[in-house]
Amino acid sequence: MSAATIALLGQPNSGKSTLFNALTGLRQHVGNWPGKTVEKKEGSFSYQGKDYNVADLPGSYSMSANSDEEVITRDFIASGKADVVCILADSSQLERSLFMLADYAGISVPCFLILNMADVAKNQGKKINPAAIEKKLGIPVMLFSATDKNAYDQFYKTMERAIKEKAMLNVTSLEQEYKKVDGYSEICETLSDAVIPGYTPMWLTVKAMEQDQVVTAKLRNTLPNGIQKTVEMFVKQSQGAIATGGCKFAWIDGILDGAVSESKTKAKLGKLDRIYTHKIWGKAAVILTVVLGLIASFIPALPIMVMGMGVDSVNGLIRTSLTDAGLSAFLTGLLCDVLIQGLSFVIKMLGFVFGVTLVFGLLEEVGVMARISYVFDNTMGKLGLQGKSVMPFLVSFGCTMGGAAGARVIDNWGQKVLTIALAWAVPCGAAWAIIPMLSTVFFGAGAPLIIVAILFVMILHMWITAKIFSRGLVKYEDKCGMIMELPPYHKPKWGSLMRYVFGRTKDTFFRVVKVVLLVSIVFWLLSYSTSGTENSILYKVGVTIEPFTKVFGLPWQLFIAFIASSFGKEGAVGVIGALFTGGGSIYQITTSSAVTENINQILLANVSRPEALAFIFAITFNLPCIVALAATYQEIHSVKWTVRIAAYYTFTALLLSCIAYHVGLLIW
Amino acid sequence: MHMDELLRLLKDGNTRTIEQLASELHTTDADIRRQLEFLEHIGAIRKISAQESGCGHCGSCSGGACKGCMPKNAKQNMGDMWEVVSV
Ligand SMILES: Nc1nc2c(ncn2[C@@H]2O[C@H](COP(=O)(O)OP(=O)(O)O)[C@@H](O)[C@H]2O)c(=O)[nH]1
Repeated sequence: MSAATIALLGQPNSGKSTLFNALTGLRQHVGNWPGKTVEKKEGSFSYQGKDYNVADLPGSYSMSANSDEEVITRDFIASGKADVVCILADSSQLERSLFMLADYAGISVPCFLILNMADVAKNQGKKINPAAIEKKLGIPVMLFSATDKNAYDQFYKTMERAIKEKAMLNVTSLEQEYKKVDGYSEICETLSDAVIPGYTPMWLTVKAMEQDQVVTAKLRNTLPNGIQKTVEMFVKQSQGAIATGGCKFAWIDGILDGAVSESKTKAKLGKLDRIYTHKIWGKAAVILTVVLGLIASFIPALPIMVMGMGVDSVNGLIRTSLTDAGLSAFLTGLLCDVLIQGLSFVIKMLGFVFGVTLVFGLLEEVGVMARISYVFDNTMGKLGLQGKSVMPFLVSFGCTMGGAAGARVIDNWGQKVLTIALAWAVPCGAAWAIIPMLSTVFFGAGAPLIIVAILFVMILHMWITAKIFSRGLVKYEDKCGMIMELPPYHKPKWGSLMRYVFGRTKDTFFRVVKVVLLVSIVFWLLSYSTSGTENSILYKVGVTIEPFTKVFGLPWQLFIAFIASSFGKEGAVGVIGALFTGGGSIYQITTSSAVTENINQILLANVSRPEALAFIFAITFNLPCIVALAATYQEIHSVKWTVRIAAYYTFTALLLSCIAYHVGLLIW
Repeated sequence: MHMDELLRLLKDGNTRTIEQLASELHTTDADIRRQLEFLEHIGAIRKISAQESGCGHCGSCSGGACKGCMPKNAKQNMGDMWEVVSV
């Protein structure tokens, strides 16, 4: 008698490989299925003197012809090469993993069912009664753990029983379900067992209704024309795979009913999630979280800020001693005004890079960020966007360039352009470093209030921008909601979080230092003149344009810094550093407080609070940076829209600056 | 068991969590999960991963130091999203 062949069938991760390896040990052979790149695993074993061949069929979700794996698998089975099919299911999630069995039903080959991962199900508190399931299915069923060596004896016995009995799956109750679907009975009647050998009319009908390509093609070739037309007509009328899939799940539920008992009932929403997912309070909770997060980021930032101020005072000492030592004013200026001054700014900024990264990294880690994205997901529709636009926006908090690239997930071009246009309004990582730093310099303890104001202006900005841009870009068509799986709340992994925060702070440091020093040196040179700063080119240009820049509430120095911020926010810091420093520079002449060496004091003495407010809003909502501009063009491939967005942002930044200035005048 | 109910529910444009769907359709989370898996397989819905949007796409990402990137292990904490594939 020739050896019997067993085929292993199961969804990925059902434990097929584990079983196959345990059965065959070294007696296995791995190759390819003819003409396909799909791996073919075969092997053999003996049990009680009898030889058996095993074929490990490629894992797939179902028996539909969606992939090479699935076609290979079902052709192998239907061709009758296997004497028995061993179907694996995951005991810990039977309601979904029995889907393979439900899809197999109707193939005329003997089979038996292995409920693998019994140990996992037991740990979950599930009690499964295989005998009850066996009674309903009419095939041998056993609870099993492929990783448990002792379970195999029982496995062999179940297998032998299935082979001996030529056990066929009882599909009566499944067919009852199918019969409820319009068109099923009509199609089924036109088919017979002989249409495609190995498959019952029930199975073929279901696949035809699911518009399975292979079955549809076969039916087209084998059925007489008249019947084929009838089939196609009913297929068109039927609800297709959604209807038959529903039948399969209903059948599974029927099988499990009374055979599985769970100690735990379904999990309820956590307290925190009940707030975050609340229709009304959700938004408020999320905004409050972000605001508190930003304010909290001041805590780790302030000590570093103080360090930066320490550099300022050291700078004063160095300047005096260098001058005393007789170093030329040019070199002293270069060293103190450009190099040390620049470094002091960068250190102050780093505090906020560190703080903001830490706080938001933490929010992501514990799972709050996902809730934030859920809440705003629902708001996107009101902006004319799809829910998934929320992701580019969140990424933009880190980097606008990333946000623009992230808009790639949006397939509708108009919506993509709108998403990017709005993402620009989200202050990026560099802004979250510079804005708090400048706010602290100008407004001291009032800085957190500025941050809150910026957040609210951001929301307003996005809303207005959406209104302006959505005309001509997006049609208000039917929008479908999305489904989200909120991750469970985690305890943060402090080690990796800190490594990430320090890594990013370090990277930012090197990038920012380069930009700040470069910009700083250029502007310092432009403002330097041996015959007094008022003779420098920059000073002359500045004074000329000042009547214009004052319209926006900006002194000319800050206006130039604003222009520099279009290339990168750090550029603005470089300009301020160069134009507002001590010895030999502009402000020493224009102000009487010649001896002040501390940049903070110089800034405070020379920039009024309304001007400072105007400046902060101007650079926050200016175009993010030149690289973001390039990334935007790359994504939307339209010069017209890229220019439009850039011009719009320059204009609105100046407008906001003007408004902020006048609001500032009212306050101070 | 009507899976088109789930799809019909989403037509109002609101985003829902798995738990919300389960309570609106009077079923369990596990049932919703298997329906999502099925609908994804037949191409009625599509999964959008947080990784896909943003990270790794911007040129400045050298060694994961991009400003727009989240901590490596936090990406899983953004949750999964599915959208309905329009026909
Ligand atoms: N706890 C437990 N783990 C199992 C069992 N069977 C398989 N596994 C594990 O589940 C994972 C997936 O198994 P594998 O055989 O690779 O699945 P396949 O994708 O179906 O081939 C592996 O890590 C196995 O060690 C079992 O009965 N109990």
